[in-house]
Amino acid sequence: MASRTLQVRCSSWEQVDIFTTRKLRKGKLLSMKVPFSAKTGMQVTIGLELPNEVVVAIEGVVQKSAPVEVDGKVDKSRTWIEIELTGFTDEVKARLKRLQRDAEDPETDPNIAAAHLVTPAPPVRRSQSQIGGDDLPADERELFQHLTAELRRLRQAAVHDVLGVPPNAGPELVRASWKDLIRRNHPDLVARRNAPAITHLAEELTILANRAYDRMRTSLVAEGRAATAGPTVASPAGWLVAFEDIKSDPANATPPKGSLRRFERPPTPQPVPPPPPPSAASGQGSEAYEGRARAMLALGDANAAREVLAAALVVYPRSKPLRSLYYVATALAAVLDGELMLATAQLETALAHHEQCSEASKMLEHIRRHGTAEADAMRRLFR
Amino acid sequence: MKGRAVGIDLGTTNSVVAVIDRDGAPRILTTEEGSTMLPSLVWFSPQGPIVGEAAREGLEHSPDLTIFGAKRLLGRRFDHPEVRKLARVLPYELTEAPNGDTWIQLAAGRAVSPEEVSALILRELKRTAERFFREPVTRAVITVPAWYDAAQRQATKDAAQIAGLQVMRLLSEPTAAALGHGAHRGADRRYLVCDLGGGTFDVALVDVDAGVFEVLATTGDPFLGGDDVDRVLVENLVRDVRQSRGIDVSTDASAIEKLRLAAQLAKHELSDHATAKLQIPDLAQLPSGKHLEYVRMLRRDELELWTSPLVKRLEPPVKESLLRSSRQRDAIEEVLLVGGSTRMPVVRKELARMTGREPSVIANPEEVVAVGAALEVARLDGTIEGVLLIDVAARGLMMSRQGQDCEPVIAQSSVIPTREHKLLPTRHDDQVRVEFDLWEGESADPSANRHLGRYAVVDLPEAPGGDVLVLVEVTIDTDGVLRLGASELVSGDRVMIEQVYHAGLSRTDVARLVKQLAESQ
Repeated sequence: MASRTLQVRCSSWEQVDIFTTRKLRKGKLLSMKVPFSAKTGMQVTIGLELPNEVVVAIEGVVQKSAPVEVDGKVDKSRTWIEIELTGFTDEVKARLKRLQRDAEDPETDPNIAAAHLVTPAPPVRRSQSQIGGDDLPADERELFQHLTAELRRLRQAAVHDVLGVPPNAGPELVRASWKDLIRRNHPDLVARRNAPAITHLAEELTILANRAYDRMRTSLVAEGRAATAGPTVASPAGWLVAFEDIKSDPANATPPKGSLRRFERPPTPQPVPPPPPPSAASGQGSEAYEGRARAMLALGDANAAREVLAAALVVYPRSKPLRSLYYVATALAAVLDGELMLATAQLETALAHHEQCSEASKMLEHIRRHGTAEADAMRRLFR
Repeated sequence: MKGRAVGIDLGTTNSVVAVIDRDGAPRILTTEEGSTMLPSLVWFSPQGPIVGEAAREGLEHSPDLTIFGAKRLLGRRFDHPEVRKLARVLPYELTEAPNGDTWIQLAAGRAVSPEEVSALILRELKRTAERFFREPVTRAVITVPAWYDAAQRQATKDAAQIAGLQVMRLLSEPTAAALGHGAHRGADRRYLVCDLGGGTFDVALVDVDAGVFEVLATTGDPFLGGDDVDRVLVENLVRDVRQSRGIDVSTDASAIEKLRLAAQLAKHELSDHATAKLQIPDLAQLPSGKHLEYVRMLRRDELELWTSPLVKRLEPPVKESLLRSSRQRDAIEEVLLVGGSTRMPVVRKELARMTGREPSVIANPEEVVAVGAALEVARLDGTIEGVLLIDVAARGLMMSRQGQDCEPVIAQSSVIPTREHKLLPTRHDDQVRVEFDLWEGESADPSANRHLGRYAVVDLPEAPGGDVLVLVEVTIDTDGVLRLGASELVSGDRVMIEQVYHAGLSRTDVARLVKQLAESQ
């Protein structure tokens, strides 16, 4: 099939504008007279020459052709044709706009130009293991636009589309695709440009990729199709796969007896309502802390109780029962270490903070009578 | 113009600063005394703070004003049981800051934050680098333990800011070690990095695949290191003095310090020799006015016997790191020993036994982390290409509203940077303020998690309860540091977030300290 090239020259950006908007019917049909005979179906390449001497090639196919008549006679050397510019895609349009903007005002907000850059093309899977940046545009503005467009596309994409994998992809594929994405977009790769806007975009892209990866990873693990370690995900060693001959319906599955018991939390006794009514400062939440701490104290784990109470005091700094219980816990720890003086001092502090603290007074009484002996009896105070 | 950048290993006992020469070779910068390591020591002397080797004098004169191991206190709550434990053994006094952080009490009414102490060390390292470059140094990559939580990372960043350094990246130490070892140049491998430094023991399984570094699992013992070996030695020596001389020096701060220095020297000698001689001419003053001279031969097997409870603590983190990554022991392809304390033969032997693999010999276990940090600078500047370091959130992030259970926001070992959001509707009519708490941990029970802070979204429009929806976005950035943003969904406006309570220094504190330190030079 014959193919011709047509040069369309625009000496000003205004002409480019006119060409791309008014000259084209339905956005892609160009009618013109050409100085050669043309037939329908002929390939024509329009070389659009821009004022900045860049020539953009646009592919087209002749849809209609008619002979040109001059004064009733057919001029054989000329033909009227209508070309459908199949190559005049959104990308080309965006490129034109961008070039125009660059030429007219380099400081224009590139966001506007980038808005036209939305490419619906699926992500190209890169198989090479080399870390990227080499296919990223070197020019800062182009890079910015590239990243903006990428971000716009990925923000609307489903999780598996972000990674460019089928929804039921296995762990290896998910991981490889995520790695490819990271290799292309990680903010570290653009850090040397020292351009905060670009670093920010790259970070946003990486966040999207990481989130998509984390989601897919979590669902793979939940399905029992993968195991994770740090950032990795891999097929499990086989033991998570269900077997057809063994009933693996989780509803009917009975866990081996005793095997799970180890992982259960120690039974937490219901919080004992403290004998004196708690001060107004303590709400529901503080009681939960108190109950937890008391349970620990009953088990003799004074240090763990102190930790819990210390955390609780951050949230409820004015709760008297919590504060006094903290000192009681410290005292119990001291008793268990055989440090009577310290314990007594702590208990007195507890009473100073909250004079109705019955544990403190009972413990103090107990120490006065028995010393450190029968520390177990002291634990029973908390039951 | 942007200034020079350096890689800094901000250690518990020693800090190292490194750069990459123009020809690509790493170079450790030396202090004024000619040492490659700056002791992480600050003596708040009457003439002002003295940092590094010169501050050693302070250990003898005024142990209560000479701060070592500030890294262990950085970003830690005062109530933390390990801090309580430390408070009993440290010669200086710890105190509780108004927000529950651990600060250091220098004198009545004068306390400094560990951030300030670290900033002084960082400033000294900065000066070291400036002497080398003869140019201002403004940026740095600083290494932090992989298990550092968000508060501790933020505290490190604050310290750098106070010292006048912009943090290019907080790099996790095992990754830095692998990078410094040259893992990016070698074949793809899985490394077990064991870092036994002055104050911490960190284990990490680092996977290197086609230039991508991934930390598969990190574990460790934040309170195990060379300092603990020293402490055990001192405890045993104090007992020995009591038994052999009948004098108790355990309450004599200056005698303890002398014992510590002598024990440290002996410990170093015992790495290469079977015995070491300990000699202190004036350990203490006898009631008669005479000086007590203390001389003792120390054998390696004695050291190993005394430290065996410590050495036993090396095993659980190693096992745990394999368990966490669901890998077997033979998945380890190379063992890297990092940190000065791995020079101890017993440590090498024990780790070789546990991993079933003879550890690689690193010529400079103290410096390799700083070299890694310097390589990271080169990487971020684009000099080194083809390397990517991937990090995960060390702990999960939970959110709660007053009195309610925590709900997960960001799961543990999410790849960072990452962002998640939560929707918080108002509960009452005309509620203009919504408060929430952030926690680090995985439990729904707030008391089992670490409190990061309480925040309030303020200036909400007045509307019936539940009509105003606040979208809170929680971002963990590339450094593992938390960022918060909020918008009100009905109008789409960004809304302000106030810190009600926050672990660490406040922004105004940092700004004040930046000024204060800049003025003091």
